[in-house]
Amino acid sequence: MGRLLVLLVALGLGVGGCRRSSEEAGTGGRTRIVFKFQPLWGDPKPFRELLARYERANPDVELVTEALPNSSDLAHQFFLTSLQGGATDFDVLVADVVWVPEFARAGWVADLSEEFPPARLREEFLPGPVDAVVMNGRTYAVPWYVDVGVLYYRTDLVPRAPRTYEELRRFTRDAMAKVPGIQGYVWQGRQYEGLTCNVYEALWGHGGQSLGPDGRVLLETEPAREALAYLHGLIADGLSPQTVTGFGEEESRRVFQEGRAVFMRNWPYAWSEAQAEGSPIRGKVGIAPLPTKDGQPGWGTLGGWQLAVNAHVSPARRKAAARLIAHLTSPEANRVLALHYARNPPRLALYDDPELRAEEPFIASLKEALTRARPRPVTPYYLLIADVLQSEFSAAVAGLRTPEVALTRAQKQVDHLTGEQPKEEAE
Amino acid sequence: MRGAGSQARERRQAYLLVAPAVLVLAVVALYPVLAAVWLSLHRFILVFGERRFTGLENYVYLMGDARFWSALGNTAYFTAVAVTVELLLAVPLALLLNRAFPGRGLLRASVLVPWAIPTVVSARLWAWMFNPDYGLINRMLGGAEINWLGAPGYALHAAILVDVWKTTPFVALLVLAGLQGIAEDLYKAARVDGASGWRQFRSITLPLLKPALLLAVLFRSLDAFRVFDAIYVLTEGGPANTTETLSIYAYKTLMRSGDFGYGSALSVATFLCVVLLAVVWLRWLGREEGRR
Repeated sequence: MGRLLVLLVALGLGVGGCRRSSEEAGTGGRTRIVFKFQPLWGDPKPFRELLARYERANPDVELVTEALPNSSDLAHQFFLTSLQGGATDFDVLVADVVWVPEFARAGWVADLSEEFPPARLREEFLPGPVDAVVMNGRTYAVPWYVDVGVLYYRTDLVPRAPRTYEELRRFTRDAMAKVPGIQGYVWQGRQYEGLTCNVYEALWGHGGQSLGPDGRVLLETEPAREALAYLHGLIADGLSPQTVTGFGEEESRRVFQEGRAVFMRNWPYAWSEAQAEGSPIRGKVGIAPLPTKDGQPGWGTLGGWQLAVNAHVSPARRKAAARLIAHLTSPEANRVLALHYARNPPRLALYDDPELRAEEPFIASLKEALTRARPRPVTPYYLLIADVLQSEFSAAVAGLRTPEVALTRAQKQVDHLTGEQPKEEAE
Repeated sequence: MRGAGSQARERRQAYLLVAPAVLVLAVVALYPVLAAVWLSLHRFILVFGERRFTGLENYVYLMGDARFWSALGNTAYFTAVAVTVELLLAVPLALLLNRAFPGRGLLRASVLVPWAIPTVVSARLWAWMFNPDYGLINRMLGGAEINWLGAPGYALHAAILVDVWKTTPFVALLVLAGLQGIAEDLYKAARVDGASGWRQFRSITLPLLKPALLLAVLFRSLDAFRVFDAIYVLTEGGPANTTETLSIYAYKTLMRSGDFGYGSALSVATFLCVVLLAVVWLRWLGREEGRR
């Protein structure tokens, strides 16, 4: 008994000692790097195998994964505080598409231009995601998987996907007359980031741009006014339900999924739910680029996640981290994420991949929408101004303020947050 | 002879004895407040690593910030309506709980359940009940299509309803404590004089309950003025900021945007409002106490 106890204590000490040393430099002199990300939904095995392949190819590296909260807001708060404090307890991080410019300007993520030259990214990746990670000709992150806003429609209720806003309105009106009690066009109108995406899509569809030529966030423009008037008009005219001002992604999906709406704007994730066994609208759903004012295919908002390297870590860890990113954004990894987790690849080549086209034709079919996807204003100020955009857009869409007033207020607040910049640089 | 020396020693001892308490208070209460005030005099934006002294610039902007004034308006409205309704409901509830009947102990305990549930949990529950699509509330209203959390005008009242549901029991408990302090003899004497039930309530219960009521108003209004969790879960301040309170505006500016300077200015402004409110109530409370 006594001997057993001694053995246990010795074992415990041994294990403890091991762990302590591994936190410093990794076991056996290996470099220890930490990958901080949100767990992917679905079977963890294929992804674990992907990570294991990196470890096998890099025997000098010990890879550790750490989970983040699933909410983008909370994850951002985490990085904001820990990177600002110079944290070095993680090496590779996932960044939402709107964070990269902010983190890059703050100097929190490493310049990866050497390993991933912008010119090569432009050749191999979809244009939207590259725009979101390249700032002033330097690469600060690599696209990992992408997302885009698209239009869902009921093939049994409308003749085809509408190309213009006018068609969308007409088709909605006709279908609502045909099927009493059905709702028209559902989208995301609650005061949150989803609303900003919807508004920017309408803004681009009316011919607007997110940034002026000097990089200033432009809000007091004719297309922005038209976009807000169009969204509010949908509600005012009864083509979108009143309740849309309380809708997020799931609320709108629920209504559409139950067969109670003609059109829906949402992300591609809603497709597999709509086509699932037992879904009331299975086989009656079409998907298309969003409509525009003049009828050319619309620009959906770009979503998705990028991989970046913590700028505060040592050069050795930085190198290992860059190799991990290269591995996780390789065509092979793109395929794993698409086949097992339905995450759209940012690499162009994958859309011609025979295996992917055969097994996941839906993912391959999103190529056009993804090629036209646009990021929200690419500016280091984005997270600062996101809150202003949400509240003023919400006011205009809910009809509390006219688009003119809302945009003037938004421009004033945005200029206050960003306006002192030129002055300071002149100092 | 032993006067001066021992008196000084006693005083020293007294200071020594209260010193730990003062120190703790300084660390936990005074330091954060002073730090927030100091921060609010800077332009300090986390992501830019930018931090420079700008004096009262943030406060000047705050004075002209329409969003601040609407947040202040929302907060004041929320506080006034919620506290009034809670008092109006709590007094009859307390009177009921003060009566002797079988199972009173159980009822008193169960009334507190809404107050005991964490606000975030109950707010999530209410958010589901308010859902215009599948929520219980519209169904109970006979299939009404009220857009509770998405329509300006409704959302703030929905939040008030949640707050009333949650805190009325707490106010009732405070009132109940006041009720139990009233001597039974007074009622006996009143009955001998032939006073009606209403007359007894107006001439005995209400005046003697006043200190308890004022205390409840003080507690609740200070609390309601800083409301955050319920509203944040229900609407995040939307639609169109019609449910945005000062705490939510400050939180968004501080934590989401990382604008520590202006966020601190908003926090300090909230703090000043709460202090002002407390001073006003305490003055009134003091006057009432003095009159007795």
